[in-house]
Amino acid sequence: MGIAPDITNAQPLRVITEDTCLFHYLVPAPMSPSAKSMCSETGSQDSGDGNSRTLHWDPDPSTLQLHSDSDLLGRGLRLGMAKVTQVDFPPKQSVSYSKETQTPTCTQTHTQAKPAEEEEEEEMAEPKPAEESQEEKADEEEKQEEVAPKDLTEEEKMQLLHSEEFMAFFDRGSRIVERALSERVDVCFDYSGRDLEDKEGEMQAGAKMSLNRAFSDERWSKNRVVTCLDWSPQYPELLVASYNNNEDAPHEPDGVALVWNMKFKKTTPEYTFHCQSAVMSAAFARFHPNLVVGGTYSGQIVLWDNRSNKRTPVQRTPLSASAHTHPVYCVNVVGTQNAHNLISISTDGKMCSWSLDMLSQPQDSLELVFKQSKAVAVTSMAFPLGDVNNFVVGSEDGSVYTACRHGSKAGISDVFEGHHGPVTGLSCHSAGGPVDFSHLFISASFDWTVKLWTTKSTRPLYSFEDSCDYVYDVMWSPTHPALFACVDGSGRLDLWNLNNDTEVPSASVCVNGSPALNRVRWAHSGREIATGDSDGQVLVYDVGEQICVPKADEWTRLVHTLVEINENRDEGEELAAQRLVA
Amino acid sequence: MSAEVEETLKRIQTHKGVIGTIVVNAEGNTTLITSTKVDYAGLLHQLTMKARSTVRDLDPQNDLTFLRIRSKKHEIMVAPDKEYLLIVIQNPSE
Repeated sequence: MGIAPDITNAQPLRVITEDTCLFHYLVPAPMSPSAKSMCSETGSQDSGDGNSRTLHWDPDPSTLQLHSDSDLLGRGLRLGMAKVTQVDFPPKQSVSYSKETQTPTCTQTHTQAKPAEEEEEEEMAEPKPAEESQEEKADEEEKQEEVAPKDLTEEEKMQLLHSEEFMAFFDRGSRIVERALSERVDVCFDYSGRDLEDKEGEMQAGAKMSLNRAFSDERWSKNRVVTCLDWSPQYPELLVASYNNNEDAPHEPDGVALVWNMKFKKTTPEYTFHCQSAVMSAAFARFHPNLVVGGTYSGQIVLWDNRSNKRTPVQRTPLSASAHTHPVYCVNVVGTQNAHNLISISTDGKMCSWSLDMLSQPQDSLELVFKQSKAVAVTSMAFPLGDVNNFVVGSEDGSVYTACRHGSKAGISDVFEGHHGPVTGLSCHSAGGPVDFSHLFISASFDWTVKLWTTKSTRPLYSFEDSCDYVYDVMWSPTHPALFACVDGSGRLDLWNLNNDTEVPSASVCVNGSPALNRVRWAHSGREIATGDSDGQVLVYDVGEQICVPKADEWTRLVHTLVEINENRDEGEELAAQRLVA
Repeated sequence: MSAEVEETLKRIQTHKGVIGTIVVNAEGNTTLITSTKVDYAGLLHQLTMKARSTVRDLDPQNDLTFLRIRSKKHEIMVAPDKEYLLIVIQNPSE
């Protein structure tokens, strides 16, 4: 064979790889350059073997053994028969492609490259067949799609959905679509408003109120009913809510007022105030940004100041006959910066006006009696926009009265009868605009209705009868002339737009859990509504722009609506009168 | 379907205002994914092919990349591809 054993460089036989089909023996290299070509490739598998070595194959194990014995005679090592494996090599595969492609130039170079690689390698033959079959499969798939069967079976569909191309397509397509979906620009928006006239009906359907915040405090508001709400005139994000007593916690103060902050995400109140008697009404003192006024169940008016560190009131009215001895349900600061008063009315009909600097005795007091004898049990009070003298009050007997504070006819003036149950809420029209509607007011009552009145007539203009429970409160929007909100005992908050429909609310939302909603207050911007419920929660809703932002013609439309309502009312009365006669 | 495709599909289908999502093959005869009852697939496939051929007639080097149809009530978005079409219908006023 031409091998000259080199004793000094003799190495013991060692197995290079244990792969069953490949078995190398490393023997001292022959110096002849006639190394077989295939050996150079296999040599690459063994790292660390020098270039000088070449591998030499001899399928007959016995000759190898002889060689090894002769090498190591000097060392006295005995070598035994090691593992011998017969190896079979698969024949060289000649690969041919028969598929047609759209881009013939690419595939031809590809096919040419493949056979070239094939020739050299045998050890690599094993991984090679796997690769080829995969490619063939891909070709078959393409052929399948080209044929385009009419209906793919579920399996074929799933196969498609799992394929590489689908993934790539979906990745690209979904990326673009997601970007497009998130774009909310309406390029077709018509600022002249012509568009919106057509969309009127659809807008009502799509118009929504969405819950912005829910305020409640574990310690101070749980188990208490929200008795009153007021938005701060100075800081539009502040809202004061007053609560009555907590029956489950007799040792806690009976009356609590919490100032909540809408601007920040914190869930605890900005300020916590309490007092000894349940607070039935609360308001921010309009010209004193630091003061919060509360009317209590005992008849006391209390004043809290957020500059002091105390949670208890800094000032209190006395519990005397000159002040109130009955629960005070209404407190309000009316007037101007230089001439203002705190007006309070209790359920025995007594109205007192106070100066905020001195609460030890009222500046003025007035007994509200109807027809010189019947004291009016006042549950709600409202001042028309800009008026400090005339006001309206609602009473427990279901009637609404107008009254005035000063003048010769101070006291109750007119009675408006129409409700069949105690009046729970009153609101005077306050949206200023081209037309003055300050003669309008609305009232809510236990008789399930909200009635629209004008001070010019003692009969109600219209009755809104969509509710199925006590209506607890109602309020005109401060910006939109035809919009008002009402809440009832079944947890519903309704928005009515007189210009759209007087039969049903334009928007309605039902609070989770259907607690009885006790109070409703629009924010000064007219974009948000706060409601207080019987579980001590204050919920603030954002009102959709289409509903709460008035268009320029809302005032004139309201004039027409009122004329219609008037006509309908007169017709109705005529018919009723005719029937009576007949 | 693979997890990524599932997740992306779910994300699109639950996007604000999305009414339906459809994936059709390029020939328009097989609907692979659909989440609407109305069959938009056939109609929109025809429209997309027409749009694509229009674009290519005007300029052979050009090709259709995205098709968006804005109607009074809906917005239909079509992302075409060599093999498939991805169609999403959205109600933008929601």
